[in-house]
Amino acid sequence: MEFEPKIVGFLCNWCSYAGADLAGVSRIQYPPNIRIVRVMCSGRIDPDFILETLIHGADGVLVMGCHPGDCHYIEGNLHAERKAKMLRNLIAETGLEPERMHLEWVSASEGARFAQLVKEFTDRITKLGPSPISGENPNKVILENLLAAKRTAGDFRLRVIVGRERELVEDKNAYGEKVPQEKLDELLSEAIKTEYTRNRIYNMLEKESLSVRELSKRLDLSTQDVLTNIVVMRKKGMLGVERIEGTTPIYMSLEVR
Amino acid sequence: MATPKKEIPRVGVFVCHCGINIGGVVKVSEVVEFAKTIPDVAYAEANLYTCSSEGISKIKEAIKKYNLNRVVVASCTPRTHEPLFRNACEEAGLNKYLFEMANIRDQCSWAHMHEPEKATTKAKDLVKMAVAKARLLEPQDEPEIDVTPSALVIGGGISGMTAALSMANQGFNVNIVEREPELGGMLAKLHMLCPNFEDASKALSSIVDAVKSNQKINVLTSSEVEDVKGFIGNFDVTVKKDDKPLKLNQGTIVVATGAENFEPINMYGYKSNENVLTQMQLEKLLKTGDLRKPDKVVMIQCVGAREEKGRQYCSRICCGVAIKNALIIKDLYPETELFIIFRDLQTYGQEYEACYTEAREKGVHFIKYTSSNPPEVSSNSEGKLTIKTYDAFLKEMVELESDLVVLSTPLIPQKDAEKLSKILKVPLGSDGFFFEAHVKLRPIDFATDGIFVCGSAHSPKDISESISQALGVASRAAIPMANKHVRADAITSIINEDLCSGCGTCVRICPYGAIQKNEIGIAQVTSVVCKGCGTCAASCPEKAITMRHFTDDQITAQALAALEG
Amino acid sequence: MADSVLVIGGGIAGIQASLDLASRGMNVYLVDENPSIGGRMAQLDKTFPTMDCSICILAPKMIECSRHPNIKLLTYSEVQEVKGSAGNFEVKILKKPRYVDEEKCTGCGTCAQSCPVEVPNEFDMNIGIRKAIHIPFLQAVPLKYLIDEENCLKCRLCERVCGAKAVNFDQKPETINLNVGSIIIASGFELFDSTKKSEYGYGRYRDVLTSMEFERMLSASGPTGGNLVRLADGKVPNTIVFIQCIGSRSSKDLPYCSSVCCMYATKEAILIKEHHPESEVYIFYIDLRAFGKGFQEFINRARDEYKIKYIEGHPSRIVEDPKTKNLQVHYEDVVEGDIKNIVADLVVLCPALIPRKGNEKLSKIMNVQLDELGFFKAKDSLLNPIDTNIPGIFICGYCQSPKDIPDSVAQASGAAARAAETIIQATQRGKR
Ligand SMILES: Cc1cc2nc3c(=O)[nH]c(=O)nc-3n(C[C@H](O)[C@H](O)[C@H](O)COP(=O)(O)OP(=O)(O)OC[C@H]3O[C@@H](n4cnc5c(N)ncnc54)[C@H](O)[C@@H]3O)c2cc1C
Ligand SMILES: Cc1cc2nc3c(=O)[nH]c(=O)nc-3n(C[C@H](O)[C@H](O)[C@H](O)COP(=O)(O)OP(=O)(O)OC[C@H]3O[C@@H](n4cnc5c(N)ncnc54)[C@H](O)[C@@H]3O)c2cc1C
Repeated sequence: MEFEPKIVGFLCNWCSYAGADLAGVSRIQYPPNIRIVRVMCSGRIDPDFILETLIHGADGVLVMGCHPGDCHYIEGNLHAERKAKMLRNLIAETGLEPERMHLEWVSASEGARFAQLVKEFTDRITKLGPSPISGENPNKVILENLLAAKRTAGDFRLRVIVGRERELVEDKNAYGEKVPQEKLDELLSEAIKTEYTRNRIYNMLEKESLSVRELSKRLDLSTQDVLTNIVVMRKKGMLGVERIEGTTPIYMSLEVR
Repeated sequence: MATPKKEIPRVGVFVCHCGINIGGVVKVSEVVEFAKTIPDVAYAEANLYTCSSEGISKIKEAIKKYNLNRVVVASCTPRTHEPLFRNACEEAGLNKYLFEMANIRDQCSWAHMHEPEKATTKAKDLVKMAVAKARLLEPQDEPEIDVTPSALVIGGGISGMTAALSMANQGFNVNIVEREPELGGMLAKLHMLCPNFEDASKALSSIVDAVKSNQKINVLTSSEVEDVKGFIGNFDVTVKKDDKPLKLNQGTIVVATGAENFEPINMYGYKSNENVLTQMQLEKLLKTGDLRKPDKVVMIQCVGAREEKGRQYCSRICCGVAIKNALIIKDLYPETELFIIFRDLQTYGQEYEACYTEAREKGVHFIKYTSSNPPEVSSNSEGKLTIKTYDAFLKEMVELESDLVVLSTPLIPQKDAEKLSKILKVPLGSDGFFFEAHVKLRPIDFATDGIFVCGSAHSPKDISESISQALGVASRAAIPMANKHVRADAITSIINEDLCSGCGTCVRICPYGAIQKNEIGIAQVTSVVCKGCGTCAASCPEKAITMRHFTDDQITAQALAALEG
Repeated sequence: MADSVLVIGGGIAGIQASLDLASRGMNVYLVDENPSIGGRMAQLDKTFPTMDCSICILAPKMIECSRHPNIKLLTYSEVQEVKGSAGNFEVKILKKPRYVDEEKCTGCGTCAQSCPVEVPNEFDMNIGIRKAIHIPFLQAVPLKYLIDEENCLKCRLCERVCGAKAVNFDQKPETINLNVGSIIIASGFELFDSTKKSEYGYGRYRDVLTSMEFERMLSASGPTGGNLVRLADGKVPNTIVFIQCIGSRSSKDLPYCSSVCCMYATKEAILIKEHHPESEVYIFYIDLRAFGKGFQEFINRARDEYKIKYIEGHPSRIVEDPKTKNLQVHYEDVVEGDIKNIVADLVVLCPALIPRKGNEKLSKIMNVQLDELGFFKAKDSLLNPIDTNIPGIFICGYCQSPKDIPDSVAQASGAAARAAETIIQATQRGKR
């Protein structure tokens, strides 16, 4: 049977959802693979929703909002854009193709554009093939990674950086300085990498208590990396030592909220 | 908030044929049969037109007969039809937020007309998704808060006074806070008014009298606003009058603080030569009758406006003002030769253009210069002024001698506009004027509910435009005051105080100022101000924010339902 | 009811006035002679200077009008008679037959699909087509079809396919009597007839368009789906010329400035560049009028970032090459002082925006004065720009004087305030 990708769309009520309606009213045809979830504003779309959808085997997630400047809520769409940027970076870490998540702007008068974008996205996903974690034999590694990514996206630090990006870059920080965009991007990608690594460790230890060496082998990380992160994570109360085998501590995850 | 008793969802699903619009592509009966198999669906039926009065009564009957506590209609778009179906639910005694729609026409049958199989599958999925959300829906109410039927008007110029009078005539109490000892603003300094040459003092005194004699209006002169707390309906305002604080409780606030006139220090010999004036100074000379007969007058436009860098904007009124004053001088001293050196003449509309035509007919000379070749003004020992300028029509430099040079300078933001913008928590634009909620369709509202702007505080404009805006504000502000309450949207965010760490991210993100920290540093939502975008919930680092009617659980459930099976 | 207001004209001005009044609890009858409210703004693609998508921001307001319990929409209707005075006007409205029952029609559009008659679509400035049974545009409010009697064949196919049984050929004109306390006129504008300027060949040359036609062509939901094409040969135009002040600021035709053309031409020019960055766009102007908030900044961006070429001057004539259909635009270069020409693929004329012809009838019915141009005359254009010579009757939007959308909106709220004042004071008098 031909591959029929499963695509979930998250659309804002005011522009993109209206654009999708207009495509229909104008009888513009597009592939029927997309299933649309309506939210009031693209700013509502928590990275969590997207990761959760991917974890459950969606082949693609299409997020749509109003064009910059058109947002019904002034700038919710710009927040959506920042979240998408963060997510792209994060998904890239997991081994899943980051193109499976895509953000576009569609106005209420752009029925044809909506149809075109859906068609293009569907074609792209069809070419990519089924999501590696869908179907009978999901790729366990990527699935594990995505679960770690989901924890990461829920992480306080990342959410603060993404939530405050606009303010830091365009207004001023607590010291009355503007943060250059490049610097913030750097900070963000650094934070993504670290938090993601920590969450992989955390998730791994949740299932089984392990030593640093074993962790580094299973997660394909240097022991140095694992160790530094474990130190921080212990401070945060995320990990504890379950027992000591000889001189080797065996770590376990602690329950965090 | 009392947690509602968890009831077992009993969802009713109504699938619309929409004549042949859906039924011609999607196998509606199949969708109905499928719907019956979805968990918690207690009833499902098909309608020819669910939105017809027959369809509506079927929904109401089924709610009663099958004891439904959630309703899903699979038909067209919620953007147009949700209110209708919500009403039906309400009429059958069901909270209207226990309703959900599946858009199987606009986004299914119409968009996949040639793929009936796939369209039917998609329609089933869309119904399944709607049911998944509906199961988790909760009743919502739209809380009301009282509005004090009294307005604060900041600024007692023509705009502020006009707004105050109209609101008073509509039955509301008004406090005008004016910084200066007298009402009147810029109008008090003007001589005659373009475009129809009314006497400024007459215009002023008639409105000042009306304001002062109106019992609903309380005028506070030599006063300034010190502090504003609260939100629409209940602003707690502290005014400083003669150095004494005064507390006012106000339902709405109008910003009518006007603008200043730019002083062209160091430009074209202003200040160094007493015969170089601004239009403002010329108005004064004309008003007091102190203008001695000049042989020649040269007016220069765009002095400090429409700059390449810096003050880029056009001040809108200066061309009209220059032509007005040229015509007045022509009237006083017919022999006086008048030149207006301009870049692009902004005599828009009917009347300003008519003044321009009249001025040309009466012999006022118009010379066009370009921004790359601005005029130069120099003076000789006898105080005579020489103006060298490029003439874009003759395409050469021309030289004029003159007794008087009048500089047309723009209206610029009040010096303390920023201070006031901070007190009110409303923004200024990049040009320094107050910035409205939406440039096109909400030109006199602020994004913050209950606060409005009019007149030259918003941008340079003439008196008739200021009056139009001021009356406009009197309507906008009257809406909550006439209703005596504002009804909050049900779709607002709520904060779980136990989870909130007080990081303040939501406070910064909210474009409406709906979230503030309370005494102990925990975020709090003012639901009447919240517009329900949900950006705060999607961004909260602690995930402490829930969006009503679009909760994380509801959205994910809806999305994941698409992936089942 | 005497606490109601009649609003004549459902453009953005009439819509704003109606919503303001309705949301404060007053009853509104909103009359439009067109089958849908929305006015000119519904026809626009984007709006200057923010480039907001016009229908995106307008449609929610239109829908709100149709849903609001305090607003009664009377579309495809005309004011026939007005008697009485402030606080108590008696109004007769004529509702023309749609031949479709508004109560029953669900707006599904099956009828139009089966209708065999195709005619030019007025809403698309006659560039696109519609059926005899139609809605003016897809986002029309109310979303109710109507049969255009003139072109209908009476084949009754629509009647047969309509599942809702909404088609009714026996419908008759209906007279509706209203009692209102105040009246707001917001009848907007129309376009100067560009064929009168025969030197530009409008009407003879296929690719000399008016700005409104061009606006429809730019619109994603317009007749060309937002694709820029030459109507003569379907090619994508590369060189496009705008000419300002067609019929305006002229002693021969109309003496005034329409106030919005420099700006919307700039907007349309930017949209061209966004579609086709490599195209060449020229705007001929007399004075560049960019007097509103953010306007000069907008022009600066158009010139510096989008490389739109502003040329001072007024072309003398346009000549079409009969073979290539290219358009030679002859003009005097004011800066260099010689006669030149540009070969354009497409020319957009920006005609004067003029008072509606129907204003005269309204003026007679209500005794409200028009100015010598045909705009509604304010009681005092400076100090009383919203009142007319008749107490209780107010004006707003373009029908009072040329203005853009935000100024129309602000003034419309102003008219709502004045109408509310009238009603509140009449009620108080009544109580005393
Ligand atoms: C030289 C010149 C000539 C003009 N000629 C004409 C003309 O002929 N025709 C025409 O139509 N227009 C003319 N105008 C424009 C006209 O002056 C303005 O349109 C009009 O004054 C705007 O009124 P306003 O009430 O908005 O602002 P303003 O007149 O500026 O009034 C604002 C008021 O607010 C007060 N205020 C400011 N800040 C505060 C604060 N923080 N707290 C309390 N009070 C405060 C000020 O003291 C002032 O009284 C002219 C302008 C100039 C500069
Ligand atoms: C090509 C073009 C582009 C433009 N672009 C912009 C832009 O980008 N930004 C901007 O701000 N402005 C723009 N404008 C200007 C804008 O269109 C007007 O400012 C605005 O439409 C005025 O609104 P209105 O409600 O006063 O009038 P209209 O939009 O004309 O509405 C009037 C309504 O009244 C109805 N009506 C008229 N007479 C009667 C009667 N006798 N009985 C019943 N109903 C009646 C009409 O059917 C219509 O629905 C543009 C104008 C043009 C021509």
